[in-house]
Amino acid sequence: MAHVPTANGTAMTGATSLVKSLEASGVDVMFGIPGGAILPAYDPIYDSTIRHILVRHEQGAGHAATGYAQVTGRAGVCIATSGPGATNLVTPLMDAAMDSVPLVAITGQVPSAAIGTDAFQEADIRGITMPFTKHNFLVTNPDEIPRVVAEAFYLATSGRPGPVLVDVAKDALQKQTTFNWPTSINLAGYKPQIQPNQSAINDAAALIAQSAKPIFYVGGGVIKANAARELLELAQLLGAPVVTTLMARGAFPDSHPLHLGMPGMHGTVAAVTGLQKADLLITLGARFDDRVTGKLSTFAQNAKVIHADIDPAEIGKNRYADVAVIGDVRETIKALIPALTATLAKGRADISPWLASMNKLKATYPLGYDTPADGALSPQYVIERLGKICGPDTIFTAGVGQHQMWASQFIGYEKPRTWLNSGGAGTMGYAVPAAMGAKVGAPDSTVWAIDGDGCFQMTNQELVTCALNNIPIKVAIINNESLGMVRQWQTLFYDSRYSNTSLESKRVPNFPLLAEAMGCVGLSCDNPADVDATIEKAMSINDQPVVVDFRVHRDAMVWPMVAAGTSNDEIMIARATAPDWDSQEL
Amino acid sequence: MAIHKLEVLVENEPGVLARVAGLFARRTYNIDSLVVGPTENSKISKMIIEVSVEGHSLEQVIAQLDKLINVIRIEEILEGAISNAKHDTQPDYQN
Repeated sequence: MAHVPTANGTAMTGATSLVKSLEASGVDVMFGIPGGAILPAYDPIYDSTIRHILVRHEQGAGHAATGYAQVTGRAGVCIATSGPGATNLVTPLMDAAMDSVPLVAITGQVPSAAIGTDAFQEADIRGITMPFTKHNFLVTNPDEIPRVVAEAFYLATSGRPGPVLVDVAKDALQKQTTFNWPTSINLAGYKPQIQPNQSAINDAAALIAQSAKPIFYVGGGVIKANAARELLELAQLLGAPVVTTLMARGAFPDSHPLHLGMPGMHGTVAAVTGLQKADLLITLGARFDDRVTGKLSTFAQNAKVIHADIDPAEIGKNRYADVAVIGDVRETIKALIPALTATLAKGRADISPWLASMNKLKATYPLGYDTPADGALSPQYVIERLGKICGPDTIFTAGVGQHQMWASQFIGYEKPRTWLNSGGAGTMGYAVPAAMGAKVGAPDSTVWAIDGDGCFQMTNQELVTCALNNIPIKVAIINNESLGMVRQWQTLFYDSRYSNTSLESKRVPNFPLLAEAMGCVGLSCDNPADVDATIEKAMSINDQPVVVDFRVHRDAMVWPMVAAGTSNDEIMIARATAPDWDSQEL
Repeated sequence: MAIHKLEVLVENEPGVLARVAGLFARRTYNIDSLVVGPTENSKISKMIIEVSVEGHSLEQVIAQLDKLINVIRIEEILEGAISNAKHDTQPDYQN
């Protein structure tokens, strides 16, 4: 919508109109694979200013678009053909919906006359993706292409961001049309509220000033809204502790003294207990996910809740909000700062005993891990060294499981958009393609995918794409030859009966050889003494993707842990070990 | 278990009924009855949905329904009267 394209009013095919519409939407890169139904669009793509990256699997295209969107804040774009091409996008679309990622997926559809006939490569992708797209479209009239594409980008990026799918019938791509870029977008049923209501802001400020035990419960919305700087100002104004959820790591500096760490199932004792014992949750762009709340009926039972979110449907969904502030969370914080300053000037509760007890918890129960007596490599040590050596400007992506939790725990995040993971969906295989998209979006940044040996085997084919397209990502496989998190649950809850969790990935595949076969540099490391040199070697290679097989011991577990379905009060710091609550005054 | 009657104005486009029905199914809301018909404006259809709210708040049902892009307006039909305003999820705070 930024400008009127020069092609306006010109006759062209629907396919050219689609590509012109993507150009007019500001797209500079897209990830995809051609096929029969989308083929007409690939002819004008050949001439387009848009960089098209030919991936090896459509799922890779979807997660790459997500990685691109997460580091740039702009919409990521992926493109696929009908039928299986489109259904391979289903997982990334669901993933993007769960983590509120702005994504536009373009799919070809069989010709309109064939729709509904079980034609070759026909799938009702609009019907399939209805539950986890913010909206989706089926276009059979080429004249509608520019309007639909403009609406798709507007929907994906405004309000609560999310994925939007545009399915275009092949004949709509082939027919002649006149390109008319819309001058405005008017969606009768879509009016996101950006500016918060001032009376809600005032109510929130009043509640905060009365609170003796306030805590900031910060979610991914703060990163989406580019509100990290404003959050820092607000947190320092109040001087209250802060927790950042898995999706919000980097929204508030880990090094800040007010930061208690991550809450939730594998959160720090201080962050989990801070939420439990607070009398006020100042909830900013977070959604009371079950992995954060534990057993909902026992979550933060004595706390009032301020819930600031851009999505009205999040208010009261899982937890009643005493004060609801609907709006962009950056605008909300900007409005809250002067309101709170004025309110605090009139008097406030003393929060210093609360802060002291939280600091004591933080000091008593830092994150840690045991080093194996036999000298085997600890996965946590590898990840900790990666964070230390690569520094706070490095972008990290992760797959899903133990390595993801360790990467969230043992790397210090100082800046937003440096930590990308599949939080809501828990998509194994996210890390490599997301890193590819992140590197394309931030080519000057170092991008590390921290992956598990299980996750890596789901999507590693995109390393071929990286090698051929000058996308030199780095991959640290945390190889414990297991589906580690599942194995951990089997250890804890299934009497150590390891049903189908042994992957034998220290025998097959040979990861360094596999990496070399895909045009990458393959390294391996199984000795703690070699970790730093191996990481530095990987950091020194910038003209090729690098894969490091870190062969770690398989019995490491993620702690602390709140077992699924139990109360956060039952947090364990190690197997059968609860914090010593008697020594704490809360 | 309370039954509420909602009047929902939607864009008259293919797939809108599937979007509404799918939302109710996946969020485990119960539809007691559903009537869809035209309005004076051919671009807009009207749905009358009777929903039995059990374990969910009416506000949550309405808020989720309101997220559908093709849903233009939701009104709860009260006995003997129709409330005029579009239903708000947080009536105290939304502009």
